[in-house]
Amino acid sequence: MSRSRWLAALLPRAVAQDSGGTEPDARFTFANERTFLAWSRTALALVVAGLGIVQLLPPFPGVPVGRHLLGVPLIVLGAVLAVTAYAEWVRNQQALRRGEPLPRSVLPWILAATVTGTAIIAAVVLLISAAR
Amino acid sequence: MTGAAGQQRPEPGDDHEERDTGLARERTALSWTRTAIAFGALGGTVLKVNVVSGLIILAMAPVIWQLGRVSRGNPLGTDLPALGATRLFFITVSIVAVAVICLAIAIFGQSVPGALR
Repeated sequence: MSRSRWLAALLPRAVAQDSGGTEPDARFTFANERTFLAWSRTALALVVAGLGIVQLLPPFPGVPVGRHLLGVPLIVLGAVLAVTAYAEWVRNQQALRRGEPLPRSVLPWILAATVTGTAIIAAVVLLISAAR
Repeated sequence: MTGAAGQQRPEPGDDHEERDTGLARERTALSWTRTAIAFGALGGTVLKVNVVSGLIILAMAPVIWQLGRVSRGNPLGTDLPALGATRLFFITVSIVAVAVICLAIAIFGQSVPGALR
């Protein structure tokens, strides 16, 4: 599936028109919705953390771009996490409708990679800052 | 029905009490409320560094809370997928818009270290 078709399949109208399978139990639908909302709050937390680092932390001595190195990727990954969470909600809902196994989620992997990457960058920035 | 790991997923029973979505609905409504609060908290933070952007994000909080009321006001649980898709798409677009605003503030804005003191 091309990227434009994949994006078009995520639009609310396309999701609503998907008549495959049968309506799942409402509790599964609610659980899927809560999972999406939890990931959305995680995305917002990444965005606010990134903004806080850039705007509110004092500059790192000797590393003028240190705050941006830490904060900007967090903000971008927050947006990526939000879009991925929505795509996974659509996939999970379709799987529930068709009675298929739920697809494997990539969101924990993205979050783990983000936290690990940020920790490594923070350690490097702090070490360089302390050395100068 | 089997899960991702191959284990049996519990099927909803025929009993009315077992099918009652009351608590699931309540948990989902609370989840919407937490999401609205998260938007409010982010709006408050941004308000410290950029008043207009902060007010825009703050204004999203009651809208999201209102969107969550759809979950609470539909006791039969019908029409959930279509409504859900629109509401959840709105949340996604809002977060991406907020991220773009925050990115612009982070790159082009004047930093104010210690503004929350």
